[in-house]
Amino acid sequence: MQLIINGLVIGSIIAITAIGLSMIYKTLNFVNFAHGDFVAFAAYIAFFANKELGVHLAVAFLIAILATMLLGVSMEKVVWRPMRRKKASRTALIIISIGFALVLRNTLLFIWGGSTRCYDIPVRRGFDFFGATITHNQVLVIIVAFILMFLLHYLLSRTMIGKAMRALSDNIDLARISGINVDQVILWTWVIGLGLAASGGVLYGLVTAIRPSMGWYLLLPMFAAIILGGIGNPYGTIAGGMVIGLSQELSTAVLPTEYKFAVSFVVMAVMLLIKPEGLFGGAK
Amino acid sequence: MTELLGAILPYITTILLFASIYAVFALGLNLEWGFTGLINFGHVAFFAIGAYTTVLLNISGCPLIISVIAGVALAGFFGFLLGIPTLRLREDYLAIVTIGFSEVVRSILLNEEWLTRGPFGVHGFDRPFQDAVPYQHYNTFLLILFVAILAIVYFALERLIQSPWGRVLKSIREDETVPSALGKNVFSYKLQSLIIGSAIAGLAGTMLAFYITYINPCTFKPIETFYAWIIVILGGTASNKGTIVGAIILWAFFSGTKFIDRIVPVPFESHQMGAFRMIVIGLLLMLLMMYKPEGIFGRKEELALSD
Repeated sequence: MQLIINGLVIGSIIAITAIGLSMIYKTLNFVNFAHGDFVAFAAYIAFFANKELGVHLAVAFLIAILATMLLGVSMEKVVWRPMRRKKASRTALIIISIGFALVLRNTLLFIWGGSTRCYDIPVRRGFDFFGATITHNQVLVIIVAFILMFLLHYLLSRTMIGKAMRALSDNIDLARISGINVDQVILWTWVIGLGLAASGGVLYGLVTAIRPSMGWYLLLPMFAAIILGGIGNPYGTIAGGMVIGLSQELSTAVLPTEYKFAVSFVVMAVMLLIKPEGLFGGAK
Repeated sequence: MTELLGAILPYITTILLFASIYAVFALGLNLEWGFTGLINFGHVAFFAIGAYTTVLLNISGCPLIISVIAGVALAGFFGFLLGIPTLRLREDYLAIVTIGFSEVVRSILLNEEWLTRGPFGVHGFDRPFQDAVPYQHYNTFLLILFVAILAIVYFALERLIQSPWGRVLKSIREDETVPSALGKNVFSYKLQSLIIGSAIAGLAGTMLAFYITYINPCTFKPIETFYAWIIVILGGTASNKGTIVGAIILWAFFSGTKFIDRIVPVPFESHQMGAFRMIVIGLLLMLLMMYKPEGIFGRKEELALSD
């Protein structure tokens, strides 16, 4: 039971962070290897605002999200858009993104050092739930994650911008000739994708220690989730994230905890071998 | 004058030893990325497999040469295993799977103490011709040996890529529909490239173990992979000569930043120096890819980095 609860908590964090990765992958057609480091960046900004500036964690949460979106938008304007104009290949974009990942992660390390950090919040005892202990933070993570998923669903299905984003990820050229302002929608994709990643990062900081490599270790589970759910499918990604979170935690019953990471790797490799288009995906 | 030379010489030997090891390591990546267009973000895993297989076999009594061959072969075999699920798909999948694989390998090295001795690492293995060469000249001997290995790998790769086989690889890099329309089995060629590249990385791992005489899982952090990437891209993608120059530049840069605080006072603490170095590597990777993707020695016309 404890493992299932832990799995759901981690699963919802993987799910909301991975949606952004998946949306950007599908729309811009490349894997953003810096995505995990955006997650860590958000957690550090929240930590900085909360602990060093002394604002309430809820305010820090918003500051972190805004800062991450801002960073993402600047990257789009300075790097990704000019590279698209130059018609750079996908492989070039992938290498730039991993370069940026190194820069971002080591900047965090440079400023705050490698030791683990946590927010300035009171430590409260968890409560009993069918023989397992749940902490208040874990409840908070699940609630916030579900609110965000609901908001995303509303955005994608009911608003113009959401519909344009879906159109873009389906077929960028078709979207362009139907009069959609492609550059602006791409900007929105970054804003929303990284906003979700940032929220996931701040939430992740609630249930685990904040350290520069936290995003790096989240990257593989995120990849596993989007491959499981089918790339570009936000609902599939949520399901994939939950499956990965649960299987990682449940694996600790039989395997040493250090191999959590390996579980998502194995899931991913098997998926690629038998059904690379994802569990819910049609034929390619 | 001779005093100064005596102080500088061991220092230069060290740079050249590391440069030759990483040149071999990066030549493996250059075959995969430079000539075939495969994105391997887990190159360090094969480095580690080569080193660990060799030294573990050797300390359990296996003759050195057989251990080395086994290390190289096993690294190649894992390249084969990773290639099977990924090389039929888009190039991003290999990147994702290899990056994950390198972490999995490192956690196995850390946790399976019965096999790998865990975080304590392995030492006390044989080094080539250690009884025949006097101890004070051993590093010089090793440098000659490594340069010889580098030369063999270099000329073998040059022959390979100028053969019809190498031309197919380059055509896969440029546009894989063309070779497949000509009836070439693109998947099989990519797999062969990955196997050879991984085996070369395994060989480099063995060389590293011989030089540093003690390896542990921390020797094979993910960052090693990006050293290879920066070497290849700096020197010039698809140029083996450039790769060797890139390796020398990288190690000169490393030793430069290691000693910079003795020359000019740097207001950094030690962990900051490491982070700073990585920021430079990351920025360099980004800027080179953005503004000079062909590197120093690469030829722009050979490399179609745009679709």
